[in-house]
Amino acid sequence: MLLLGALGHAQRTDSGSEGRLKGLSLEQLGNIEVTTASKGPVKLSQTAAAVYVITQEDIRRAGVTSLPQALQLAPGVDVAQIDSVKWAVGIRGFQSRLSRDILVLIDGRSVYSPLFHGVYWEVQDTLLEDIDRIEVIRGPGGTIWGANAVNGVINIITKNAKDTKGTLVSAGGGNVAQGFLNFRQGGGNDEFSYRVYGKGFDQGPEFHPDNRQFDDWRRAQGGFRTDWKVDDHDTLTVQGDIYDGLAGESVRITTVSPPAAVNVAQNAKLSGGNLLARWQRTLKGGSDIQLQTYYDRANRLQANQAEYRNTFDVDFVHHITLSRRQDFIWGLGARLSPASLPEVAPTYVFNPSERTDHLYTAYAQDAFSLIPDKLSFTAGAKLLHSSFADFDVEPSARLLWTPAPRRTFWAAVTRAVRTPSDIEDTLQTAWLVSTEPLAFSRTQGNGTFTAETLLGYEAGYRSLVTNNVSVDIAAFYNRYDHLSSLEPGSSFIGNEQGTPAIIYPYVNGNGIKGATAGFEIAADWKPRPWWRLQGSYSYLDMNLHTIPGSRDTTTVASDEGASPHHQARVQSFFDLSRNVEFSLTFRYAGALPYYLVTGYETGDARVSWRPVAHVELAVVGQNLLQPRHAEYGGDPGMLVGIKRNVFASLTFRK
Amino acid sequence: MTGPGSRAYVPGVGPGRPPWPYLLAIGLMIFGLPVVRSLEAQAKPTEYEVQAAYLANFGRFVEWPVRAGAGERDPFYICVLGQDPFGPLLDAALKGEAIGGAPMVAKRVAGVADAANCRIVYVNPSKDTPLRPLLAALAGSNVLTVGDVFDFTIQGGMIQFVLDGNRVRFEINLAAARQARLNLSSQLLKVAVAVRRTP
Repeated sequence: MLLLGALGHAQRTDSGSEGRLKGLSLEQLGNIEVTTASKGPVKLSQTAAAVYVITQEDIRRAGVTSLPQALQLAPGVDVAQIDSVKWAVGIRGFQSRLSRDILVLIDGRSVYSPLFHGVYWEVQDTLLEDIDRIEVIRGPGGTIWGANAVNGVINIITKNAKDTKGTLVSAGGGNVAQGFLNFRQGGGNDEFSYRVYGKGFDQGPEFHPDNRQFDDWRRAQGGFRTDWKVDDHDTLTVQGDIYDGLAGESVRITTVSPPAAVNVAQNAKLSGGNLLARWQRTLKGGSDIQLQTYYDRANRLQANQAEYRNTFDVDFVHHITLSRRQDFIWGLGARLSPASLPEVAPTYVFNPSERTDHLYTAYAQDAFSLIPDKLSFTAGAKLLHSSFADFDVEPSARLLWTPAPRRTFWAAVTRAVRTPSDIEDTLQTAWLVSTEPLAFSRTQGNGTFTAETLLGYEAGYRSLVTNNVSVDIAAFYNRYDHLSSLEPGSSFIGNEQGTPAIIYPYVNGNGIKGATAGFEIAADWKPRPWWRLQGSYSYLDMNLHTIPGSRDTTTVASDEGASPHHQARVQSFFDLSRNVEFSLTFRYAGALPYYLVTGYETGDARVSWRPVAHVELAVVGQNLLQPRHAEYGGDPGMLVGIKRNVFASLTFRK
Repeated sequence: MTGPGSRAYVPGVGPGRPPWPYLLAIGLMIFGLPVVRSLEAQAKPTEYEVQAAYLANFGRFVEWPVRAGAGERDPFYICVLGQDPFGPLLDAALKGEAIGGAPMVAKRVAGVADAANCRIVYVNPSKDTPLRPLLAALAGSNVLTVGDVFDFTIQGGMIQFVLDGNRVRFEINLAAARQARLNLSSQLLKVAVAVRRTP
């Protein structure tokens, strides 16, 4: 065994398992499910970026119930729950409710909103059991993924329909997650397979010190996916979702006569749907092409604003294996997004109220090995044109050094842009400053706001130390320019909707620049076949300042003070027996001084039991270490306490 | 000692205490648990374990032309050319197995010249070695070539392992097998996910 080990990249296996596949037929061998761990980390170790993959197993065993909760499983992602409905997510800083620097894709469909430059997390959902994996890329990914992939990319990928055959029904409830029901039915043969799913939930409010329990909500979603293997080379995927929900929220509304600013608690009506088709063809010599198109509809009606948006998108990608040493990829994309933004409150108006945003992109990237199997270099650039800014370019250069098959060093330099959005371009708002004398502040998009830019420097190291231990370290230094600021003008006596008043005018500017630096460490250890430990720690330092000429006095503090300096997480997964699984999570996040949120540490636990085949009973506890704790600033109002949440679920799978 | 539950909810006031009690509690839970654990769960096999099992099986579905000078009791050599991804897995899969009275033996070979008395050659060259000339050189010696390089059958290999989701399946280049005067049984062709009949 020693001799063989010296000959090649021999693998150690658990003693006793060798030769256990003896006597199986070809058909039986073809049906054995394997762990592709030997390939997975190798592939991952060949990526010159800080990539982390959240697997279906991770999601299931952590007992999470929503996509933002699942994102907590990746190192370096700041996920804070604002209230029952809302989440603030950030990667390497700039954590906010709308995550302006993170591009999020669900099966290749962008869910980044051009209205508020960010992601409405409360309307992004799918059947969690159908997720194959979530790829989280920390750091700029603009070259491949496109605009707004400034601090990170989140790729949510659902399973091929051929892997979701059969029936799944799960139901449960608890004190906060009051009730939920999920079902999926899949079927088909080797050529054509399909699934349909439905889910619904009723979620109770979190803890409000002022007793305004506005954030209960309920939601239903359904969808389908079909995968058709047309012939040996072509596959066609068609999928779609539809959802409807009432999300409890509180919004601050200013009225002019009588002059008042009040928090109005009213359900937001959120509905929408999408339809996507993707055709993939494998070409000779390991090349392939992909053509994807989708339509997405989003309706949002709140007490202060409304948005009805259609998005049409076409993407083409051609991947060419030029030789065994060179890989080339290029692509084109076009997105049109007509939206209607009718006035709901006269102090919060988009002018014009109808507009069509567009985004055109073209990119190319080449990866070639300088020293085969040891050193490779990747360079590429994306050219983009959006309705808010002229042409912009996002180049990147990446170097990957693999001194040994299981050890990788990488480094990258990337430029990325965050394109302006409707709120910076066309939103007009008035906020009551005082009633005596009557004064309003007024913000107005004036079309001069330009894209925020980033030049990111990154380096990382990954190692499969032994078959059971892996370590992943990444460090970054990001330089930002033209960050968003709010520039005050000189006050004047004017009128607000016909009422004479003092006006404090503000315009959106690009008056902030600066740098962030930090690192993330993640480790994975499987001491025993039935026991797995994961841990991660991330550190962030933000150092922003206003540029000469900027009169902004608040944004530096609000940007810097809204992301934690320190974050840590430890998870432990046990297979207590063939039928019993147990997992424990401890997580810590540092303070958010801007929101007066103190650092917190809390824990989650899940235990599941399969009394008979096909049936699983699980009990999940979240935020167990205290009755409640705040994770982010109230939106708006007092800090909301995120409660200890315990629920039970029963799942039938066949 | 203060329990976790007694911590009052005071939003935005002061820094928290160090989390030592909780860390200790979690640590005890994490490290104390293995003691109570009894049954051991069986891990899923790796793809190479399944590939090795396939290699032990393929011989039963292939007819080789009679070799001049080959003895009846010569071992049935299954060879690995290039980097060895199996380690002890292949040896374990072949242990005690025989085909037509000949024991199956795993052998690592350095080059094509050493592969002459192999029946099956698993070809796994390093990235900078061109595959096609290697396979062309093997084609003359009546060996079944197997690999999992992505364009293996296109380059002239006979059986290529492919991952179908998380299952290991294989494709066949029948034309290449015929060129090497190997006769593949219809049973083998039926199980393959794809069969290439033209070179």
